[in-house]
Amino acid sequence: MDFEFTPHQKQLRSEVQAFIADHMTAALKAELKDDARGSGPEGEVFFAKIMARGWTAVSWPKEYGGQGGSPMDQFIIEEEFQRVGYKRIGGGGTGAPAILASGTEEQKRHFVPATIKGEISFSQGYSEPGCGTDLAGIQCRAIRTGDTYVINGQKIYTTSAHACTHIFLMVRTDPQSKRQAGLSILLVPIDTPGITVRPLWTIQNEPRAPTLTTYGEPRTNEVFLDNVVVPVSCLLGQEGDGWAVARRGLNLDRVGAWRYLISVMRDEDIVNWLKEDGDRNATLRADPRVRDKVAELWIEGQVARLMTMRSMSISQRGEAFSYEGAAEKVWAPEHGVRATEAISQILGPSAQLLNGSPDALDDGLFAHNLLGAFQSTVNHGSVQVMRDQVARNGLGMPRAGR
Amino acid sequence: MDVLLTDDERAVQQAAAEFLATEATPVLVRQAERAPDRMSHELWAKVAELGWLGISLPEQYGGQNLPLSYLGLVFEELGRRTAPVPMLGTMVVAQILARHGSPAQLALLEQVIKGDLILTYAVQEPDTRWSLDAVELAGRMDGEHLVLSGQKAFVDNIHTAGKCLVVFRMSDGSGLGLALIEPTLPGIDATDLITTAADAEAMLRFTDVRVPAADRVGTPGQARAIALEMMDLAAAFTTAMMVGAAGEATHRAVEYAKQRNAFGQPIGSFQAIQHMAADMTIGVDGAQLLVREAISRMGLGLPARVEVAQAKAFANEKCLMAVRMSQQIHGGIGFIAEFDQQLWYRRVAAWSLRCGTTPEHRALVAESLLDRQGPVRLGYDQSLQDDAMRAARVRS
Ligand SMILES: Cc1cc2nc3c(=O)[nH]c(=O)nc-3n(C[C@H](O)[C@H](O)[C@H](O)COP(=O)(O)OP(=O)(O)OC[C@H]3O[C@@H](n4cnc5c(N)ncnc54)[C@H](O)[C@@H]3O)c2cc1C
Repeated sequence: MDFEFTPHQKQLRSEVQAFIADHMTAALKAELKDDARGSGPEGEVFFAKIMARGWTAVSWPKEYGGQGGSPMDQFIIEEEFQRVGYKRIGGGGTGAPAILASGTEEQKRHFVPATIKGEISFSQGYSEPGCGTDLAGIQCRAIRTGDTYVINGQKIYTTSAHACTHIFLMVRTDPQSKRQAGLSILLVPIDTPGITVRPLWTIQNEPRAPTLTTYGEPRTNEVFLDNVVVPVSCLLGQEGDGWAVARRGLNLDRVGAWRYLISVMRDEDIVNWLKEDGDRNATLRADPRVRDKVAELWIEGQVARLMTMRSMSISQRGEAFSYEGAAEKVWAPEHGVRATEAISQILGPSAQLLNGSPDALDDGLFAHNLLGAFQSTVNHGSVQVMRDQVARNGLGMPRAGR
Repeated sequence: MDVLLTDDERAVQQAAAEFLATEATPVLVRQAERAPDRMSHELWAKVAELGWLGISLPEQYGGQNLPLSYLGLVFEELGRRTAPVPMLGTMVVAQILARHGSPAQLALLEQVIKGDLILTYAVQEPDTRWSLDAVELAGRMDGEHLVLSGQKAFVDNIHTAGKCLVVFRMSDGSGLGLALIEPTLPGIDATDLITTAADAEAMLRFTDVRVPAADRVGTPGQARAIALEMMDLAAAFTTAMMVGAAGEATHRAVEYAKQRNAFGQPIGSFQAIQHMAADMTIGVDGAQLLVREAISRMGLGLPARVEVAQAKAFANEKCLMAVRMSQQIHGGIGFIAEFDQQLWYRRVAAWSLRCGTTPEHRALVAESLLDRQGPVRLGYDQSLQDDAMRAARVRS
C-alpha cells in the first residue's frame, strides 16, 4: 500500500497548476462562466496549449491520438483543470472509451483522434420516457433494411444533444427481443434528417448556476427520432450485443476526477468560507456544533477521496472491479448530499439565495448546490442499484425471488 | 499512489489470517473471557513463536523490521478473530521503546519479541478524556527516584504486564513525563473493571510510588511528543482491530443471510437486507482505507495525528454500525450468548469507546481545518499547530 503520490505525479500536478496560473486569463474565466467546456475563442486558444503539452487523453493509446500514459496521470490533470471549472479536458465520458473497447479499426481511427481534438463529441442516448435505471426496457427501435437502419423512438435526458456532433444511441435492433438481449449501439450523426432535439430546462437554469456548482447543468434534452435512416456502418460492436458494448465503456466513467470533485468540493468550500474574515464567519467558526459537523463532513470527504484512489489503483493495475466502483458511486454522491444539506443548515437562510440575489453567499453557490447535489445519486446508476451491485457482485447475495 | 496491498503485504496478511482462523477460535475466545487473566497464554506463546511480535521491530532484537503497515494488517486480522492476546499494549509500548528507549529499555525488546514480556500503557484518568490536557498523575523527583501519586484509568492487562508506560505531570511545572514502571511496585493498587469486551482493564491508584529515575522514557522536553505518538499508535491499532472485527461481522451476516429463509426465500435476497450489507461493507471499507493511510504515514515518519483522528472518529461510528446491523440481520439469535455472533459485537462496542471518542477525534480534525492559516484542500498535507511547532523545534 502506498498512499503517497510518486515524485513524478507530484511534479506533474505542480506543472499543471503552474500552467493554469499562467494561462487562465480573466477573459477565459468569463467565458467559462457560461460554458464550462470552453468552446469560445479564448477556450480554443487555451485548449490548443493544453494539447501542445500532451495533457489530453493521457491514458488513451498513442496510435489513436492519446498519450499512452497512466490513468493516474490523467486523473491528476483532470482534477486540476476541473477544480478551476474547466471541463473540456475530461478523458472519460461517453463515446471514445466504448469505441476503443468495441470499435472496428476504422471506427477507432475515425472517431477517437477527432474526439480528443473536440471535433467530434457524443451525447448519451440511453434513457427513454419509459425507462432509465432499467435500460432493459428500451423501446426505441432500429430496423435493418439492406445496408441501413431505420430508427424510430424517443430519448430523454440526452444531455448536450444540442451541442454534440453524434449521439451514442442505444436501440432495440431485434423487435422480438426482451430485456437486454436484442439491444445495439449506433453512432448516429446528430444532424441526420428525422432527429429533433428539444430542450428540457433543469432547476439549475434560472438563474444560472455559478461555476463549480454541484452538477450545474442548465439544460438537458428530449430527442425524437422519426424514420431516421443511417448506414449499418454506424453499428458499434455486434448487433444485439449493445448491453455489453455499453458496459465495457462505462466502468471508469462512474468514478474518476469529476465524480470525485462534485462530491467533495463542498467540504472544502465550507471550511474555506468559515475561515474568511467577518463576524459571522468567526462566530460560526468558534461554535463547537459547527466544528463537529464540519469535521464529520471532512472525514467523509476523505473516505470519498480514498475510495476514488482505490478505484484508480485498480484501474492502474489493470485489474477487474468487483464492487469497488459501485461502492464509491454510493458513498461519494450521498456524501455530497449530506454535506450540501448540512452546510446549508450551518449557513442558515442565506443559503437559499441564488445567483444575483442581494446577500447571496459566493454567487449563490450553496443554494445552487442544494438544487443539484441529489442529482448525482440518480444518474449513471442510482445509489439503489449501486447498492444492489455491491451486495450481488461484491458479497455474492442472491437475486430476489430465486 | 496505489492503495491496494502489494504481493508481500498480501502474503503476510494471509499468513496471519490463516494462523488466527485455526488458533483463535470462538471456543478459545470464550475460554479466555472466563480465564483469570482474560487472555490466552497458549495463543500468546504461539503468536510469539511464529514471530508475529517482532514483525515491525528492529532486527537486532530478533524482529523483522517490516514497515508499520504490516503490523497494521496483523492488527486487522487479530480483530477479525477477536484474538484474546495483549497485543495492543505490547506493540504500542514496544514501538515507543524502539524509537525513544534508553539502551536498557531497548534491550527489553528481545524479551518482548520472544513473548516473555507483556507491556501496557496508562494515559487516561478517571475523568476519561483522551487528551494529555487531562493528565494529572503527579510526579516529583526525590533524589534518584521519581515519586508518582494520583490515578490512571482503562489500563489493559495490568496483572499480566511486566511493564507499564505511564504518562504523568511534573508537580514542579516542568510539564509531562513518561516512565516505564513495574506494575507490582509498592503503592500501586488496581481495581478491575467489567467491560463489554470481557477483557482485562483496570483503574490504578498510585500512592507515593517510587520509580527509579532511570526508568523515565525520553528527555523531559520530548515527553509530550512521545506521549502523543503513543496515543496515536494506540488509537490507530485499535481502529485496525475494529476494522477487522466489523469486516468479519459483516461477512458472517452475509453468509447467514444466504442460508436463512423467510417468506420462501433466503433473507439475503431481500433488497432491504442487501442494502444493509452494502452499507456495512462501504462503512468498513472507508474505515479501513482511513486507518491504513494513517498507519502507513506513521511508518514513514510523516505527520499523522489528523489521519489517526479521522480514522478513529469514523470507525467508532461505522464499525459499530456494521456489527450492530450484523446483529439485526441475525434476528433474535444475535442477542443470545450461546451463539458466537455476539463476541464481535461486544468487542467493537468497547473498542469504539477506547482511545478517543468520535467527538474528541473530530475536535482535533476541526482544529487542523479551522485553526490554521490558509485554505484547505482534500488530499493535501494536513497538520496541527503542534506538529508545526515540533518541526520548528527539530529544525532549530
Ligand atoms: C440532468 C440529467 C442529465 C441526464 N443525462 C443523461 C444523458 O446524457 N443520457 C442518458 O441516457 N440519460 C441521462 N439522464 C437520465 C438518468 O440516467 C436517469 O434519470 C436515471 O438513469 C434514472 O432513470 P429514471 O429517471 O427513468 O428513473 P427510474 O429508473 O424510474 O427510477 C426512479 C427511482 O426508482 C429507483 N429504482 C429503480 N430501479 C430500482 C431497483 N431495482 N431497486 C430499487 N430502486 C430502484 C431509482 O433508484 C430511482 O430512485 C440524465 C438525467 C438528468 C436528470
